[in-house]
This record gives sequence, structure tokens and C-alpha cells, in this order.
Amino acid sequence: MTSTSQAGTSGPCFLGIDIGSLTVKSVLLDSQEHLLGRGVAPAGYGGQEAAAELVAQVLREAHAGDSVAYAVVTGYGRVLFRTADEEMSEISCHARGAFHLCPKVRTVIDIGGQDSKAIRLDANGRVVDFAMNDKCAAGTGRFLEVMAAALGLPVAEFGRLALQSQHPVSISSTCTVFAESEAISHMARGVAKQDVAAGLHRAIASRVLGLAARVGLEPEVMLTGGVALNRGLVLALEGLSGQRVTVADDPQVVGALGAALYALHKGRR
Amino acid sequence: MAEKRYKKLKTAVELQRLMQWHYASARYLRLGRPLAWVTSGAPVEILRAMGIAVLYPENYAALCAARQPAPTLCQVAEARGYSQDLCSYARTDLGSAFDPAYAPMQGLPKPDLLIACNNICGTVVKWYEAMAGYYNVPLFVLDTPFIHDQVQESMLSYVAAQLEELVRFVERATGHRLDMARLSEAVRVANETTALWGEIRALCKSRPSPLNAPDLFVNMAPIVVLRGSHSALRFYRNLKAEVEERVRRGVGAIPEEKYRLLWDNIAIWHHLYRFYNYFADCDACFVVDTYTGGWSQTLPEGEPLSGIAAAYATVFLNSSLQYRVECMVRLIQEYGVDGFVMHCNRSCKPYSLGQYAMRRAVMERTGVPGLLIESDMCDARSYAEEPIRTRIQAFMESLAARA
Repeated sequence: MTSTSQAGTSGPCFLGIDIGSLTVKSVLLDSQEHLLGRGVAPAGYGGQEAAAELVAQVLREAHAGDSVAYAVVTGYGRVLFRTADEEMSEISCHARGAFHLCPKVRTVIDIGGQDSKAIRLDANGRVVDFAMNDKCAAGTGRFLEVMAAALGLPVAEFGRLALQSQHPVSISSTCTVFAESEAISHMARGVAKQDVAAGLHRAIASRVLGLAARVGLEPEVMLTGGVALNRGLVLALEGLSGQRVTVADDPQVVGALGAALYALHKGRR
Repeated sequence: MAEKRYKKLKTAVELQRLMQWHYASARYLRLGRPLAWVTSGAPVEILRAMGIAVLYPENYAALCAARQPAPTLCQVAEARGYSQDLCSYARTDLGSAFDPAYAPMQGLPKPDLLIACNNICGTVVKWYEAMAGYYNVPLFVLDTPFIHDQVQESMLSYVAAQLEELVRFVERATGHRLDMARLSEAVRVANETTALWGEIRALCKSRPSPLNAPDLFVNMAPIVVLRGSHSALRFYRNLKAEVEERVRRGVGAIPEEKYRLLWDNIAIWHHLYRFYNYFADCDACFVVDTYTGGWSQTLPEGEPLSGIAAAYATVFLNSSLQYRVECMVRLIQEYGVDGFVMHCNRSCKPYSLGQYAMRRAVMERTGVPGLLIESDMCDARSYAEEPIRTRIQAFMESLAARA
């Protein structure tokens, strides 16, 4: 990401807000695309209140006051968030954010709380094609949360544990509820926790790669969204696809960054 | 509110009256005529010529979806052991038969005979077998071999031979005989009507398009259920005049047409206006579709039964994916289409299977982007509002970025 500006916020600034199902994210840019502030907070009920608080906090920390010239909101809570000037889809925002971070990116994989998506970009960063998960929570952040809970682990620990496995079990079901039953039956049979964890990571990775195959997995592949912080999943994706997967810097806010870049572009006009 | 943004056709009143008359007359005004329930791809001209009244359970199921009770009727069928993976037309109709109290118009009047043609899918065979058992009435299954590449002469003679059997079946079941002069007349009227429907669809090549997908879906009802009747012929003459008038005056179906889209698969009947208005809000109009064109094919000249065999054996859904890709590519070129939307319809397996491959093939051939939307034609429980809205928005943003 463009380096954080120390200069303060005399000019107009541009706000991107991403209201997801699990977390809200916000990014503030100046007119030179310099990062003035960013923040992530749990979404709570509906995300609207959490987003408003987060935006206030980001503006306060950046000493930006009321200098926001334009704001774009994305994510599932976008429709109700009236503070923003415009709403845009997560596809456009993640594509924009990822391309800004690395113009060599041609495939963006975003694993969010409710949705996972694969986006193919052209050399100009335009969205050529995209695919999203079907009506099923398998292959999403929610899946990982549920499975971590089934193993009695915090989400962060869950990914680390998977890395220690030598013999990952096979989890055949792609349904979150059925996969959980499958994992529990493996545990009941005395399979080591790390092997179950690794099996679950492989299941989610194979699901996401199936999605990505619909748009073509062209290098360079970038992973965005909070799930990108899970090292176990990144390695499972690389292992199964045979491709290098770049993790975005600060992957959780890539959608909000894209929204802020759109805000800058639109606000300037 | 969404509906109000929609430019209503003047013929809408006539359409409504025509369809009400269709359903009411099948119940109250049959004048001694036997009643057949048939699939949408059955050779109805023969039945008209034999003086048989005809109802289409598929059309009735769509009506149940538009008026909302379809999921309840599906659940009635599911409670009797029919799988939720079964076609929602079948579940809705079976549900309306099992428990008419939940069904619009108290369900359909009981049939005297059933005719299923598997040119549209294999489900109809088992579905109609179930109904034949339930009502204890005779069933005729017309088998049309799937066309993997080319139509073979043997396929057509196989189907034509079955049509002769169909005539004997109806004669046995009802005592009505086939009058060849009436058959030629029914074919003539059907052909004139389907030609008009084809011409109406072709008028949508104009910019702006005079009709949008919901117009096509709503106005296709008579071509399906009243094909070969004089009342349908009159209706399509009037509809064509009105659509021509829109073209002459440069009136579009939506307020501002910026993007022209193609639709693939059966309509989402339960969210008809709401769903297509998401596109209209982005100035996108569906100018053509692969579905309603299924009833614009005229029957070949010559001996009626072999002409009917040739037409019904070669419908869109009875043909290979390659053929369907060719059709989509041709329509995209002819109608100046900017993008296409495929409804991945949980119910309709033959229509939805292979859509990922078709989408890729059409995109490669035309350079035009395509979107896949998951839903179901009748069962509103398979419609997820927010994920659908997100996909439409992303697709329309990517179309705008291309412009």
C-alpha cells in the first residue's frame, strides 16, 4: 500500500467503507492516493452502527475532521449506509484495491465471511470475469469459524495447527453442517486435531479453487479478505493449485481500499 | 411500486381476459369435450383437430409461482415424499392435485387423459406417470430421441409413427376421431400464430427495444396454451400492431436503454418484475431470450403428421449444447447484445446442465460477458435476494467499465 502520509490532512480526503457480515473496514486516502488511516472492527448487528463508529474513529485518528470529499460504501451492509455518496459491489472494489497494490495481479481471490469470489482482471485492471460461491457457506470465512469452533480453537490458532499436520484427513462434504459432522466423527475416532484441521483447510481450498477455475487461474494470483491471514489456507491453496499465491498487505481492508480509490476517482470529477 | 415503472402494454387487458377464459372454459364450458393435460412440447394441433380441450400444468405452475402459493404447494408434494430436488413445476402441480385448497382456482379440473412428450425433459415422463396413477387416467408418452449432433431421418420416422399411435390412443380414450381437414386448419392457424410471435420477437432488434424480458414471458402464455386457436391468433395480431407502434414512435420497454441483454433459461416467475427491474434500474433491457423463442418455430409444409414430427422432435431443449451455443451466438449478433444472463435454474436440469461450459464458449466466441444467477423458476425458497443483487450489481459495473 502507498506509504502512510505524515503530512496530515489539509486537503480533501476520500473514504472507503466495507460493511461485511463479520467485520466492517474503512480506509481513508488523500487526493494523492496516500493512506491517511484504516480500521477494522466487528460488524455487530447489521454493521451500520459499527461502520459509523469506525468511520468516526478513522477520521479522528487522521485528524481529518469533516474534510471527506466523497465516500463509497461496499459489502453486504452497503445498501442501508446513507452516509456514503455511492455504493459499489465488492467485486469492483476488491479488484480495484488489489490492482492498486500490485498491477501484475490478474486473478483476485477474496474469501469473505459470506461470499468467496474469484475475479479475473485484464492488464488495465478492469474486471473481465468473476465468479461467486453458490448458495452455500462452504469455502467462506464463516466455514472456517464454524470449523475452528468445532475443534475448540480460536480461528488464528486453527490455521497454525493445520500447518503441523503430516496426514491430513479427507473431508468429502462441501456443506458446512455436514463437514462439521464429518470432522467431529474423525475426532471421535481419535484422529489428531492437526490432521482434522489440515483436512478442513484442504476442503475449503479445493472449493475455492473450483470457483477460481470458472474464471481461469491466471497468474499473478492475489488473496484478499480476512481469511488471507490464515497461513494454513494460503499453503493449502498453493499446494492444490501448484501456483504461487500472493497475500495482499493488510488483506482485510483491500475492499475498503478499492472503495476509497473509487471515491477519489469519482470525487475528483 | 416497481411495477409502476414498467410500461404496460395496452393488450395486457386482452391477455388477462384471454387467459381467464382459457382456464374458466376448461372447467365450465367444455361442452362435452374430453380434457387432456399435456406438456409444453406436446403436439397440440392433433388434439385441437380431435376436439379435445387442453390444459398445460407447466403454465398453471408458473401462474401459481407468480401468485405466490407455489412454495406451499411444493411443500405439500414434499410432505408426500417427493424430493425437493424434483422440478418445481412438477411439485407445484402435484401439490395442487393433492391439496387443491391451497391452489389458485382450486387446482386444475381433473383430466380425462394425459400426454407427455420428453422433448423438453425426462422428468415429465415420471411426473405424468405419477398423475396417471393418482387420477387413474390413461397416459401417452411421446418419445423424441435427443439430438446429439444431426437430426437423423430415422428419428423423424420414429416420432411420426408414434404420432399415428397417439391418434389411435386418443380415439380409444375419448371416441373422438381425427379429421384431416381440421388438422390442416389447426396447423395453418398455429403456423400463422407462431409466425406472428416470431415477428414480434424480431421487432426487439430495434433500438430501443419495444419489449423487455417480462413482456416476452407474460405474453408467451397464449402461444403455449392456445396455439392453433383463433383467439390466440387474434391476440398476437393486436400485440404485434402495438409493438410495431412502439417501434415506429421509438418507444422503448424501459425508460432509457443503455445496455442490451440476452436471457437464457425459464423466467423467475415469483420475482418477475422485481428481478428484471434491478437491470432496468441500470438501464439494461433484455431484448431477446432463448426461452420464448421455443414457440416461434412453424411446422413444415406437406403431410401434417410428418411435419409435426419434424417440428416437435427438434426443439431447442432436445438438442446438443453445441447447437444451443450456436443459437446464443447468433442471437447475440442479430440483436446487438452487450451481455448475457443465464438463469441456473435448480428445477430445470436439461436447461441448466452445461451452462458453465456454454457461458465460457459463448464468451469466447462473441467477447460478450455472461453472468450466471442461481434461482428457481417456481420455488421462491431458492431465491436469495442479497447475493443475487450483489451479482447483478457487479456484472452491471463491469459492463459499464467496458463502455
